Amino acid sequence: MIRLVLRRVLAAIPTLLVIITLSFFMLRAAPGGPFTEARRLPPQVLANLERMYHLNEPVWEQYGRYLTHILRGDFGPSYVYRSTTVNALIEQGLPVDLTIGGLALALALLIGMPLGILAALRQNTAWDYVSMAGAMAGISVPTFVVAPLMILLLAVKAHWLPAGSWSNGAPDHLVLPVLALALPLIAYVARIMRGSMVEVLNSPYIRTARAKGLPERTVILRHALKPALMPLISFLGPAVVNTLTGSIVVEEIFGLPGIGRFFVDGALNRDYTLVMGVTILYAMLIIAFNLIADLLYGVLDPRARQQ
Amino acid sequence: MRGPRLRSLVVMIAAALLSACSSAAGYHGGPVYRYVVSDRPAPPALQVLRRRVAETPRTLDPSLAADVPSTDVIEDLFEGLVTLSAGGKIIPGVASSWSISPDGRTYIFHLRPAARWSNGKPVTAADFVYAWRREVDPDTAAQYAQSLARIVNAQAIIDGKRPPDSLGVTALGAHTLEVRLVGRTPYFLSMLFNVYYMPLYPPAIRRWGMAWTRPGHLVSDGAFYLAAWVINGHLTLKKNPYYWDAAHVRLREEIFYPVPSASSALSRYLAGDLDFVGTPAFPPSDVGWLRRDLGSQVRVTPMYGTAYLGMLVHEQPFNNRDLRLALTMSLDRRVLDEKLMQGMDMPAHSLFPPLPGFTRRSPAWAHWPMARRLAVARRLYRAAGYSKAHPLRVKLLYMTEGVHTRNYMEAVATMWHQALGADIVLWQEQWKVMLQDIQYKNAKLFWSAWVGNYPSPYTFAHQFVKGFVMNYGGYDNPAYQAAVKAAVAEPNRARRYALYAKADAILNHDAPLIPLYFYNSNELVKPYVAGIEPNVLNVHLARYMWIRQHTLRQP
Repeated sequence: MIRLVLRRVLAAIPTLLVIITLSFFMLRAAPGGPFTEARRLPPQVLANLERMYHLNEPVWEQYGRYLTHILRGDFGPSYVYRSTTVNALIEQGLPVDLTIGGLALALALLIGMPLGILAALRQNTAWDYVSMAGAMAGISVPTFVVAPLMILLLAVKAHWLPAGSWSNGAPDHLVLPVLALALPLIAYVARIMRGSMVEVLNSPYIRTARAKGLPERTVILRHALKPALMPLISFLGPAVVNTLTGSIVVEEIFGLPGIGRFFVDGALNRDYTLVMGVTILYAMLIIAFNLIADLLYGVLDPRARQQ
Repeated sequence: MRGPRLRSLVVMIAAALLSACSSAAGYHGGPVYRYVVSDRPAPPALQVLRRRVAETPRTLDPSLAADVPSTDVIEDLFEGLVTLSAGGKIIPGVASSWSISPDGRTYIFHLRPAARWSNGKPVTAADFVYAWRREVDPDTAAQYAQSLARIVNAQAIIDGKRPPDSLGVTALGAHTLEVRLVGRTPYFLSMLFNVYYMPLYPPAIRRWGMAWTRPGHLVSDGAFYLAAWVINGHLTLKKNPYYWDAAHVRLREEIFYPVPSASSALSRYLAGDLDFVGTPAFPPSDVGWLRRDLGSQVRVTPMYGTAYLGMLVHEQPFNNRDLRLALTMSLDRRVLDEKLMQGMDMPAHSLFPPLPGFTRRSPAWAHWPMARRLAVARRLYRAAGYSKAHPLRVKLLYMTEGVHTRNYMEAVATMWHQALGADIVLWQEQWKVMLQDIQYKNAKLFWSAWVGNYPSPYTFAHQFVKGFVMNYGGYDNPAYQAAVKAAVAEPNRARRYALYAKADAILNHDAPLIPLYFYNSNELVKPYVAGIEPNVLNVHLARYMWIRQHTLRQP
């Protein structure tokens, strides 16, 4: 297990380096720069700006400087938010994404898992059809349709909930964004749970367990649940990251101060350091959560441990 | 001058794309909040204004601010020598009076002894000297440093040829400031309310460095101070008890929420989360039902800005004046305005927007019936060497951001095709890519716009002066430049405006641009918010705003 972790961490280093290098040079290749504005800057002012941010140096020198800085955990100053560092922006934005993402995932598991298990147990009944049709709808209808609809009904028409803004994470401000983010997740979790449960329930060892005369409760909870969780685990690794990175739409619609908006605005504004910082963060999250998923796999499945 | 105002307009429209679906979701009429409003102010505890800001302010450092959202907030935090009335007139700010030397080159400002920083310390002439030197200091790398170029030595300091302390500004005493200019500058006073002319509190910057604009560090001299700032989240300003006119400031708190998309802003306004939504508060397509349902909460008022198409006037095919005239004459702006902008903007036939006291010169053809205009345009088009068999083929460059710009450009291309048979290739690029292509002269015909940030025709006239950084079309007419130069040197306002009108007429004759429309602002203001008056600069200071007593009547 420790060897697995070590191997994966070591393998992550070249991966990260490739990501950093590619995005560093691709960003600089994009037309327009951080200081390209409607009013063209006088050459001297532009020169002063470029000197301040070392953009006047050869690009390889900038690259080297950047690498040494991130080794120290310093993502540098933001070019567009000129009184702030990228670290400060991430420190401020990440908790927002973690809060809504974490709550959405918890909600997805809490609702999606029982929904899927019940559907599997009552295969081909009305319950199964209705919940799976609902799940299909949850997957197909995109967030940018669901979220404005929820705002329209619950905020604009009914005045029950605020239509947006963070307000330091006040519960009433969290409800709509978390729901919007959770809906497709609930649907995925329910469908995966149902599928794997059906498969497990049809396997020989469950038949054996039933033949032994074990109560259905024990069969489901002790024998079927654990193997049925495996596909869900491998789904959750990337899903956690997707929820964090995919919250951009939700952030935009509800006006939340998460890092997703920094990513988009940063790219549009050519805020090189900001985009780099968020890219590296996302890359590290993806690597970390994939590793966690694999480790959990090992915990649940002895066969995976031996491999 | 405020290019970024346009930038942010564009970005706001862009973000509207993302949540365009919220209007697609179709709130069209139905029950909305109704208020019973009295003329009396609400109790002090309720004097809180929740206001939308179009984007996250990029900085609260007045020296560095170059975008509209930042300046919107900074204008409530800081106050310069002069400030604006609710209606947008220049009035005394920190300076209670001033005198100007007969040659118009030396200004003496007398500062109010009562002016205070938000920590209670007096605002002194030295604070202005410090701030202005910092603005032009190459180490500050301020994007708008050149706005101070009329001050003696400013340009040399920006160029790194002189030290910052050689700037032509001196504190003659704690409350007396002398400013020396390179020449007569009639618009100088009207520029002074801009953020890059505001004073700074040196100890805060020396102590905190770049982090001096964080809540708790930032010391300001305006009607409000900074209480909280969550980037992309919200920005809370509280009343500055030390402000010299604090007795007349009624708001206790002002909260800015960055909401880029107009349709999100609209739903949050309808949900009752926002009291005041500045321009653009809603997509033009929504104006009809909004007016019906919200009545006077919808405010559409003139702004000091013009949208136009620019052209490279020294290159094929636009080095031909006949062609330029044919193109500008054959656009029926009234149709564009009515059908596409729902009457939310004003058709423009010339560059300079309306300004009190200034009579603009529309070209004669603007008053002709459309049939006559088309006939003349076709003749000019043929005279320029084009025909059905040999039509004008050219790329029209504009930005990907904004549904309305796209619709507008498609309509323009169609009109030219129908009227003249011209083949216009519509070419969209992301904002920054478009800017680079325009600035590197890779585009022959391109979208352009200008919103003035001080009330003088000069801010527009400048755009077509040879050598000015924003003269992207490369227009160069000595007669025009002479008229502008004479206007700048003319102390009498009526004669000055007459000279600008002459410059306007020269532009109409040469047609180096195709004017499209003058901007209107569109705002949403709850009936219980008082103190917001229309003004062409579109600057609404919270120091004049207050909340009326009101109760909610549920539908």
